[in-house]
Amino acid sequence: MHKSYGRHQVLRGADLTVDPGQLVAVVGENGAGKSTLLKALAGTLATDSGRIEVSGTLGYCPQDPVVSDNLTVDQHLRYFAAAHHLPDLRRGNELIDRLGYAQYRHQAAGALSGGTRQKLNLTLALLHDPDLLLLDEPYQGFDWDTYLRFWDLVSDLRARGKAIVIITHLVFEQDRFDQLADLTSGRLTPRPANLRQPGQTTEDDHVRH
Amino acid sequence: MSAIELRSGGTPAAYRPFPTALKFSLRNQTRNRLAAILLVAFVPIWYLLMIAMAGHKPLNFRMYATGRMLSVDGGHLSLISAGLNALSMIVGFTVFDAIRKTLRFDRRLVFAGYRQSTLIAAKTLATATIAAGVAAYAALVMLVFWRPGPAGWLAVLGGYTVIALTYGAFGLLLGVLVKGDLEGFFLIIMGGLFDTFLQNPLGNPLANKPILEYFPSFGPMQFAVSGSFAHTALWGHLALGLAWATAFALGGLIIFRIRTRSRTHPR
Repeated sequence: MHKSYGRHQVLRGADLTVDPGQLVAVVGENGAGKSTLLKALAGTLATDSGRIEVSGTLGYCPQDPVVSDNLTVDQHLRYFAAAHHLPDLRRGNELIDRLGYAQYRHQAAGALSGGTRQKLNLTLALLHDPDLLLLDEPYQGFDWDTYLRFWDLVSDLRARGKAIVIITHLVFEQDRFDQLADLTSGRLTPRPANLRQPGQTTEDDHVRH
Repeated sequence: MSAIELRSGGTPAAYRPFPTALKFSLRNQTRNRLAAILLVAFVPIWYLLMIAMAGHKPLNFRMYATGRMLSVDGGHLSLISAGLNALSMIVGFTVFDAIRKTLRFDRRLVFAGYRQSTLIAAKTLATATIAAGVAAYAALVMLVFWRPGPAGWLAVLGGYTVIALTYGAFGLLLGVLVKGDLEGFFLIIMGGLFDTFLQNPLGNPLANKPILEYFPSFGPMQFAVSGSFAHTALWGHLALGLAWATAFALGGLIIFRIRTRSRTHPR
C-alpha cells in the first residue's frame, strides 16, 4: 500500500500478510504511519495505490474511542447488533463480563472513564465475532487487571482461529506475538526472532511509563 | 480493494436497523441541554421582548402573492418574526451539534454494516420530528401573547414548522460540512438573524423589497402572516420554504453519504 498526505509519503509499499490464528504487532515510532496503515486496512481511509484482501469478517477498534456520548453501554450494543444483524446480544454481554464493566451498562458513554470507554470501544469491534481484528493501541487506559483480561480474550480469539493485528508502542511482552513488524520509512519489516528480547520495551515506552 | 464477506441471514436479527437508528438518532438530538434551556426559556422571553419593543403600532407588510399591502399590528407581526428567528437558531443549533458530534460514530456504524440509506432516512425523520415538535411548542407559547384564531394559528404553525425544517436541514448541512464548532454556530446565528429580521418591517428599510424573496424565511413568513392576518393560505410560499429545506437537506445528506462511506467492497 502507498499513502501520502500532500508531499509527505507515509506508506511506501507497506506489505503485510496475516494468517488465521496469527497475532501480529505493528510497531513504530510516533508519526511512523501505524494508524494510517490500520485505517487503510480497515477501509476507513483511501490509499493512493495498493490492494487489501480480507477473507471473512473484519472488526476494527480505532485508537480513540468512537462512541456516542448520549447513548448508554447497552444502547451501543443494541445499535451495533442492528448494524451487524445479530440475532441476540449474547456475545456483547459476554465481552462486557470478560472485560469487567457490567456495572456501567446503563451509564451514558459520556460519563464513563477513559478506560471504560476504551473497553466499550473494543467491545464494539468484537461484537460480531470477526475473523480478522485490527486493534489500534487497544489497551490504552486499561488498568493492570483489565490488561490481563484483554490478553486472556486475545488468547481465546487466537485459539478460535481469529487473525489479529495490534498496533502498539508497547512491546513489553514480545513473546505474546507470533510476528513483530516494524513500520519504518513507510515499509513493514518483520523483526527476526533472534532480535526479540523478552521484556524489552520500545523507546516510546520509556517516555510513556 | 478489499473483499469483505457479508454475513448471510438465517437467524432473525434482534434489532431492526431502521427503528433502532431512528430511536437513537432522536435520543442524540434531544440530549442537548443548552438547546432545551433555549427552547423553554428563550422563546417566551424573546416574544415578551419583541412585543414590548414593537408595541402595537400599525405596520405595512407586503403580500407578494397578491401584491397587496397589509396594515397589521406591529406587535403581532413581530411575534411571528421572533418565533421564526428563535426557531432558526434553536433547531439549527440542535441539529448541527448532534450531527457534528455523531459523524465519526455514524461512520463506524456504516463500517459495521448499517446501510447509509437507513441511517440517512432515520436522521431525516428524527430531524423533521424534532423540528415539528419545537415549532409546535413555539406556536403554543405564542398564544400567551396573541390569539389569532384557529386558522390563523395553524398558518403560524405551518410557517414555524417549515422554518424549523429549513434550519434543521441547514444545521445538518453545516454539521457535515464545516470543520469547527465556531464556524457552524456563527453561520447559524448570523444566517438566522439576517434572514428573519429582514422579513420584519419594524424599523427595517429593506422590508417589503423584492430582495427578501431570496431568503429562506421569506416563504414561511409570507404564509404565516397572510394566514393569520388576511386569512389567505399561500401554499406556494409554504412550498418555497420547503424547497429551501429540501435543498439544504439534500446537500447535507449527499455530503453525509460521502463522508461516511466505507472503502471496502464485498467480493
